[in-house]
Amino acid sequence: MATTKFRHVFGRLWGFATSCKKSSSSNPIGTRILQRDVEKEEFQFASTLCLSSYYSVFVVRLAIMVMLAILIGLLTILTWHFTKIYTTKSLNSLAYDLRYELLQRPILRMWNILNSTSEITIAQVKLSQYVIRSHGNLTTQEDQVEMYEAMRAVTWALFASRKALNSITVKYNNGFVQAFHRDIKDNNTFYIYSDLDNYSIGASGYNNSELNYSSLSSQESSWNDNDNKSTVWYRQPLDPVTGERIGKPMQIAPEDSIHIAGLSQVPDGVASWRVAVSKFTDSPLLSAALPVWDSSNKSIVAVVGVTTALYSVGQLMKELVELHSGHMYLTSLEGYLLATSTDAPLLDNSTQPPKLKMAVDCENEVIRLGAEYLRRSSGNKFPPSHEVHVANVRLGHDRYYIDSFFLNLKRLPLVGVIIIPRKHILGQVDERAFKTLVILISASMCIIVIGWVCILILTNGVSKEMKLRAELISQLEARRKAEASSNYKSQFLANMSHELRTPMAAIIGLLDILMSDDCLTNEQCATVTQIRKCSTALLRLLNNILDISKVESGKLVLEDAEFDLGRELEGLVDMFSVQCINHSVETVLDLSDDMPKLVRGDSARVVQIFANLINNSIKFTPSGHVILRGWFENPNPCSDSANFLMEEKKLQCAQKTRAKQYENHAKRTSERDKKAVLWFEVDDTGCGIDPSKWDSVFESFEQADPSTTRLHGGTGLGLCIVRSLVNKMGGEIKVVKKEGPGTLMQLYLRLDTAGDDTEQHCLVDIANNGLVVLLALHGNIGRSITSKWLQQNGVFTMEASEWNGLTQILRELFHTRSSSGTNNGFDVHYPIPESLKSRLLSIQEIRHPVFVIAVDIGLLDLSTDIWKEQLNFLHRYLGLAKFIWVLNHDTSNTIKLELRRKGYMMTVSKPLYKAKIVHILEEVIKERNHEMQKKNMDELHVHESDYTHCDAASSDDSDISESAPCNPVSSTEKFEQFDLLSRYRINNCLIGLTDEHSEVKTPRKEDSYQNNHNSPKSLSAEQAYFPREAHQGEDSESRGKEEHRIIRGLGRPANGKKSLEGLRILLAEDTPVIQRVATIMLEKMGASVVAVGDGQQAVDALNDMLGVEDFRRDSNLNERNTRSSSPQTEILSFPSYDLVLMDCQMPKMDGYEATKAIRKSEVGSGVHIPIVALTAHAMSCDEAKCLEVGMDAYLTKPIDFKLMESTILSLTRKTTS
Amino acid sequence: MDVGQMQRQWLDYTRSLFIEGFLDNQFLQLQQLQDENNPEFVVEVVSLFFEDSERILKDLTFALDQQGVDFKKVDAHVHQLKGSSSSVGAQRVKNACIAFRNFCEEQNVEACLRCLQQVKQEYCLVKNKLETLFRLEQQIVAAGGSIPMMELSF
Repeated sequence: MATTKFRHVFGRLWGFATSCKKSSSSNPIGTRILQRDVEKEEFQFASTLCLSSYYSVFVVRLAIMVMLAILIGLLTILTWHFTKIYTTKSLNSLAYDLRYELLQRPILRMWNILNSTSEITIAQVKLSQYVIRSHGNLTTQEDQVEMYEAMRAVTWALFASRKALNSITVKYNNGFVQAFHRDIKDNNTFYIYSDLDNYSIGASGYNNSELNYSSLSSQESSWNDNDNKSTVWYRQPLDPVTGERIGKPMQIAPEDSIHIAGLSQVPDGVASWRVAVSKFTDSPLLSAALPVWDSSNKSIVAVVGVTTALYSVGQLMKELVELHSGHMYLTSLEGYLLATSTDAPLLDNSTQPPKLKMAVDCENEVIRLGAEYLRRSSGNKFPPSHEVHVANVRLGHDRYYIDSFFLNLKRLPLVGVIIIPRKHILGQVDERAFKTLVILISASMCIIVIGWVCILILTNGVSKEMKLRAELISQLEARRKAEASSNYKSQFLANMSHELRTPMAAIIGLLDILMSDDCLTNEQCATVTQIRKCSTALLRLLNNILDISKVESGKLVLEDAEFDLGRELEGLVDMFSVQCINHSVETVLDLSDDMPKLVRGDSARVVQIFANLINNSIKFTPSGHVILRGWFENPNPCSDSANFLMEEKKLQCAQKTRAKQYENHAKRTSERDKKAVLWFEVDDTGCGIDPSKWDSVFESFEQADPSTTRLHGGTGLGLCIVRSLVNKMGGEIKVVKKEGPGTLMQLYLRLDTAGDDTEQHCLVDIANNGLVVLLALHGNIGRSITSKWLQQNGVFTMEASEWNGLTQILRELFHTRSSSGTNNGFDVHYPIPESLKSRLLSIQEIRHPVFVIAVDIGLLDLSTDIWKEQLNFLHRYLGLAKFIWVLNHDTSNTIKLELRRKGYMMTVSKPLYKAKIVHILEEVIKERNHEMQKKNMDELHVHESDYTHCDAASSDDSDISESAPCNPVSSTEKFEQFDLLSRYRINNCLIGLTDEHSEVKTPRKEDSYQNNHNSPKSLSAEQAYFPREAHQGEDSESRGKEEHRIIRGLGRPANGKKSLEGLRILLAEDTPVIQRVATIMLEKMGASVVAVGDGQQAVDALNDMLGVEDFRRDSNLNERNTRSSSPQTEILSFPSYDLVLMDCQMPKMDGYEATKAIRKSEVGSGVHIPIVALTAHAMSCDEAKCLEVGMDAYLTKPIDFKLMESTILSLTRKTTS
Repeated sequence: MDVGQMQRQWLDYTRSLFIEGFLDNQFLQLQQLQDENNPEFVVEVVSLFFEDSERILKDLTFALDQQGVDFKKVDAHVHQLKGSSSSVGAQRVKNACIAFRNFCEEQNVEACLRCLQQVKQEYCLVKNKLETLFRLEQQIVAAGGSIPMMELSF
């Protein structure tokens, strides 16, 4: 029962626990579901994955908990079972034995009492018989008395020997009664006898009756009747030990104190047993009666009755019960109580005479309840041998053991019942069991709880990990999304740049057209050229927008091509100087002479780096200067360091030491890589950067001062790109400390150097020609740098920063030499500084000095008309010195015209950097040489010999536009003409290979030139072409000198070689329009073209060259080709093609498939025909696809003339070489 | 009519074509390609373009009339038209084609039909314009003048 209860409790606890768990866990599930609803679409996969894993974790956790609970429950139950059940069983058996034993003792006592009573009775009977027989005939009164005395003595002896006897009675047939009675309550002993006198007569009657004893029943009845009526009884107290009579006999009523057994009680002459009730004692008495026969055994002489009180049994029971608590009682078979262990009365006193009580009526509650229980359980009648053993009976409030034993005595069957409270035997056990149970349950609960907590903690780790994983998944998802969106962004940028490129292309194209216009003035032309340059820069910038994403994703691959670093940087400075002029910022390029001229690397990226840096500097520099310095760090610094130091300006000393720190490191790496370490500095006088931001400015979207964004704009990406690029080129960039305001960015790049052998010879030329250069320039920094550099190269320089200084120097210079100057308004005397004086003196030592005066147009007072007079003043020195006018970009036309009119040929636009100076000086030297040689030699000879090698020196022809003379009279102007002509030819040569435009136009122009050789008008028309051609020449020049040398040669400058002359090109294009356009374009370049309509035909054409003609016949389109393209007939004689132009989207077989087929057929033959894709898709993925299938290059529609040309050239050259 | 006046008119007209966006840089390239060897190059190419475009437009109309529209085919046609129009420099046709292709990718029949109408319209417009231009050129040539160089200063 306890176990079921325990299970119940356990079940309830379990249910509670699980419900708790459920309620606690239902919440996260709910939120989870909610989340899932929100993110359903995007993260369905991930969330279901993580949700299922979450559930599985939950289930596993639950299962582990349940298992733990079951295990511990089982353990608990088993423990409890073994401790409780076995104990209980053994205890129960022990208790049964105890109870049996306990009850056995009163029953034995009862048995003893019965036995002793019967023994005494029998002994009394035997003694009585003996006494009566020894007295024989009782004839006399004396005899009779004597016999009675003897009887009394005998009876006393017996009575005294048995203390337990209540009484012994002898009743003679004559009615005489002798009795000993022991009053247990008073502990008195009495002798009770009847009056002797009445029995004398009766003796005869006795005899009579003795004779007539045949019918015992009648005799008996007569006895009793007589006795009760007539006899007088006496009671005499006796000494209980000796039996002496100690008191007077008292007369009492017969049968008053004791019950005298009469004849009625021995009906059949054997001993009879019965339970009697005495009115003197409150306990039942056991009385036995036995007849005493006479000697003849024919008649009953007397009846002996022995009465024993059952009190002692009750006494024993009490004692027993005192020892072991509980209740005992004995009942007769009918249910009358014989003895109990309690003090409850056994007799019912309410009736007269008192009767025995039934057990169920007992005053003791326990006994009564027990008896009632027994009666209930077995009915009213006990079967003779029915025994009841019940362990757990609830009587009243307590539980009891009830055991009944049946004692089958003859004539007096007894039932003993023992009721022992359960507490007595099993109280401790039950208590212990209960305590154990409680302890066990609580212990197991604790263990379960702790286990659960442990499991929770353990699985929490797992579930946390799962959660983290789920989070990771979602974050990955988010990252993927972010990447996708960034992808979209770059896609968008790509699209945008494509969209932007188109108008830019139009702008550039239109500019080209504009430049080719005849009626442009020189200045317009220069402006347009500048616009063209800026547009190119803008286009480049647009392309760079694409690179940003490339750089950021780290997919940028640097080109590795040879390029002229100096020229790139000069171009850059040129470009920025236009911007700077408005800012009154001076842009200065200061490259040391040991810089390698040609380096290998990615020119576009290098330019991008400096463009960004300079742009940045200019943006934040309202006034002052921006200097780009560059120097070469030689792997062995000992040889060059002295030189190097000299070149360095003083303010760089601080950096120098820092630079030395890098030196060792750089040296090691550069030796290993055979790379040159090129150091650069971008120095500006702007607002500067806070030192705390020196590192962070290179981060994305970081600007040193956010407030400037509104002022200057910008994205903050520039420096980030710069740093990425610099790092990519194996360099570093950082902001370094600078004296004075502004920012100094220092970086080094590691670039491969190309062989630099012959570039120094120009400088040598400059050095030994006795040049004296007067630099009258506005910008201090630029001027001083130029001056220093010139001095280092052995050129004598003087500086003037303003008009007055200039005039003073001029006067000093020339008046001292040929003191034939006239005074005018500007001739103001200033005290000449000593330094200048010494310089002038040293100049005078030079033999045949050539004076070159570079005058900044800004020195003139342009705001008023004074500048004209100033010009006039300078004009006086025209013959004495060469004037170079340094123009601004915004110099007005009138000034330029005036200058030209005055005969100043050499103008140069700002900024003035080395290459320009070198070029100018070379021009000057050449001019002088011409002048000198002219006296001796033929003009033409001079021209032929002199100009064949001068092209290498021209760095940027567009900026140095030499004006043509307006009236062709003077000798210098003739030179100009020759100069122009030669330059023109050279340019022509340069362009010839690559530029179709000039190619197209050159013959016409050349013709016109030849026709109108003397017409100045046509000459000016020529000039309009120079910048453009020069520009294109610049492009083509960078493609390598080799090319130039091939076609250089004065033999055929007019016709020029068509760039694609002799190439056989197969064009696969389905759209007739494009087919036609491309055909014409290619033919213009001199290639012969075969056009086919789809990929299949292209493949066939390549595979089977003989079948070409058939295709042509078949193809309607191609018939047109046959009509129009002249080299058709030649095609048949050429067995193969040099190149294939392949449209990507064609019917039947598209370009990709066709290319694959062609490449497949080429396998094993060792042939690789270049295939160029033509596609209208302009995205890079298409390019990748094209290259993947085996194409070599990629052109977008509409076809760009130049791009196509260069692409084809690069491919065919590759294959031929 | 005076040749000079006609030349001016031709210039104005060409300029207007560029300003209004009917033509783009590519047309200029075409004109530059025209030389003594191919005196009728522009006209030839443009008439090729007309033939080709009309065929494609017919095919497109047919393809879009079908019950189940084969967008791949439509896309190929539009792509072709885009290529040829961009080669001629018919910018507006090209732009319409780009839009058309986008709808093609979306497989939006209604928008495609709308685009087809637009392309047709643009095509007709550019055709008329170009024909007018050529007629002017013919007149100039017939009057003994030469086609002036394009002077695009817009």
